Amino acid sequence: MLNYSLRRLAFAIPTIFALVIFAFYLMRLAPGGPFTSEKPLPPAVMANVLERYGMDEPLYVQLFTYIKNILCCFDFGPSFSQKDRSVNQIIASGFPVTLTYGFWSAVFVLICGIPLGVIAALRHNSFWDYLMTGLAIFSQIFPNFVLAPIMVLLFTLSWGLLPGGGWNGGQWQYIVMPAIGLGTSYMAGVARLTRGSMLEVLNSPFIRTARAKGLPERTIIWRHALKPALLPTLTYMGPVFVYMITGSVFIDVFFSTGGIGQDFIDGAYSRDYSVLLGLAIIYCVLTLSINLVLDLLYAWIDPKVRDAL
Amino acid sequence: MTLLSVRDLNIRFTTGDGDVHAVNNVSFDLSAGQKVALVGESGSGKSQIALSIMGLLAKNAIVSGQVMFNGNNLLAASNDELNQIRAQKIAMIFQDPMSALNPYMKVGRQLSEIVELHEGLSRRDARIRAIEVMEAVQIPDAKRRLDAYPHEFSGGMRQRIVIAMALICRPQIILADEPTTALDVTVQAQIMHLLDDIQRDMDTAVLLITHDLGVVAGFCEDVMVLYGGRMMEKSKVGALFKSPSHPYTRGLLRAVPNIHDQTGQLHAIPGSPPNQMNAPTACPFAPRCNDVIDTCWQTLPELTGEDTQRACIQPVEALS
Repeated sequence: MLNYSLRRLAFAIPTIFALVIFAFYLMRLAPGGPFTSEKPLPPAVMANVLERYGMDEPLYVQLFTYIKNILCCFDFGPSFSQKDRSVNQIIASGFPVTLTYGFWSAVFVLICGIPLGVIAALRHNSFWDYLMTGLAIFSQIFPNFVLAPIMVLLFTLSWGLLPGGGWNGGQWQYIVMPAIGLGTSYMAGVARLTRGSMLEVLNSPFIRTARAKGLPERTIIWRHALKPALLPTLTYMGPVFVYMITGSVFIDVFFSTGGIGQDFIDGAYSRDYSVLLGLAIIYCVLTLSINLVLDLLYAWIDPKVRDAL
Repeated sequence: MTLLSVRDLNIRFTTGDGDVHAVNNVSFDLSAGQKVALVGESGSGKSQIALSIMGLLAKNAIVSGQVMFNGNNLLAASNDELNQIRAQKIAMIFQDPMSALNPYMKVGRQLSEIVELHEGLSRRDARIRAIEVMEAVQIPDAKRRLDAYPHEFSGGMRQRIVIAMALICRPQIILADEPTTALDVTVQAQIMHLLDDIQRDMDTAVLLITHDLGVVAGFCEDVMVLYGGRMMEKSKVGALFKSPSHPYTRGLLRAVPNIHDQTGQLHAIPGSPPNQMNAPTACPFAPRCNDVIDTCWQTLPELTGEDTQRACIQPVEALS
């Protein structure tokens, strides 16, 4: 298992390199640049600015310098558009915020989605099943830019229970609505997925064997059915978690959390190459680590996978 | 002494196209230590009979009749009441050892959880029992294999585990649903020998469900032949093989390939199994029977006779 993890980590390094090189050239292909504006800068000023940011060198030299700085000093360079801020500072201030409410959002998705799915499967074709499935479909198609204002309307403006935005060092009141707004549609997805796989597992021959042993229903669900029923949910949760972190732009903007989504959008508009590249690397590392964690979880659940490691 | 008494068992399944009459008016008794075979082709309802005794029929099943065990009608028992009988008094061996075991659980745990539950043993004692029963079904190196997962065993070894599961509480009755169908012929023989030995040691009653007449001849004393969910013939094994009295049984025996048959031809029963969408009003075998006469299409023959019981309106002498 340890061996396998180390091997996977070794493979991660070339993956990250490939991504950096690819993203670096791809961004430069896009028209415009960080210093393009409606009123062009005088050529002498432009030359000075370009030299200041090292952009007068050939592309491959810039790439080389960029990678060298990361490797030797963990320095992702200065931001091209936000004066006096380095990419390191931007990531350090925004990423923990996004990661924090992203994590709680994932917790919300799992602790609500899985029980809802299991209950719907156990009450198959009953009122509760239909109610659950209906709610799940409804919240899956309910966009977060509709859900978020409704929540603010109710919880902040009408009842005054929760603050309508901000972060305030990550107190729980400030996390609740971003986490729910981010997670609701995925929670519905998890509920539907869990319901389907639970139904399938409950009809499988080994569950019939468990029933023939005279085990109480509770034991059959917890000990025999839940583990295999959660495998598809696990597969779904990996990419979803990454997607929640990277796709949290709307939530960051709407709730003014100061998360990293806002920086990503700003960076894309102003062609802030260093911010975009730095965030791409962060997302890449995040994706790779979550996939590794997922594979280890798979191995924990499924003995056949464990043997293959 | 009669252990289990099945009376007028009817099983229907509601489907979108109407009701399927899977089992019709089946009655039989099982005594302590008796080995009875239930023979029939696929779809004849033999597995459903076993599942109805265990209370494990699919949700769309409608069942009527009586299955009496220790003075209780199992068909009317609640799930909790059945849980006191399952595995402890009546156990079932399932057909496909590849899918009957939980692939995510160590086999030792799948065995020990049964005695932990029913006999209140501690984890440690239950593990010891699991080792004992694995040794009883001749799994080599049982102590080490306890912590292996099902996929680490061969098909034959897995079927031994499935049998061990059925044996671990020393039940009075074992319902063996095609225990060797999924296995190689050589492994089949080993498994049947094993079942035979254990059955003799523990004086268990066995209902062996199979379509393999070879297995029946070697293992059972009594045979029941099922066709289209109806009992066609009940007899001693010797009598059945020597002088089958029902046209369907004759067809079945003729279909077993015979090495002395010089023509090299295989004999099949012409036609296909009956459509069971309607409750039978005539002999279900009539469309495929060589000896069919006009009355066969109008009357539903009941089982009659003393030692050999048969459901056929024609006397044995009149059959071809």
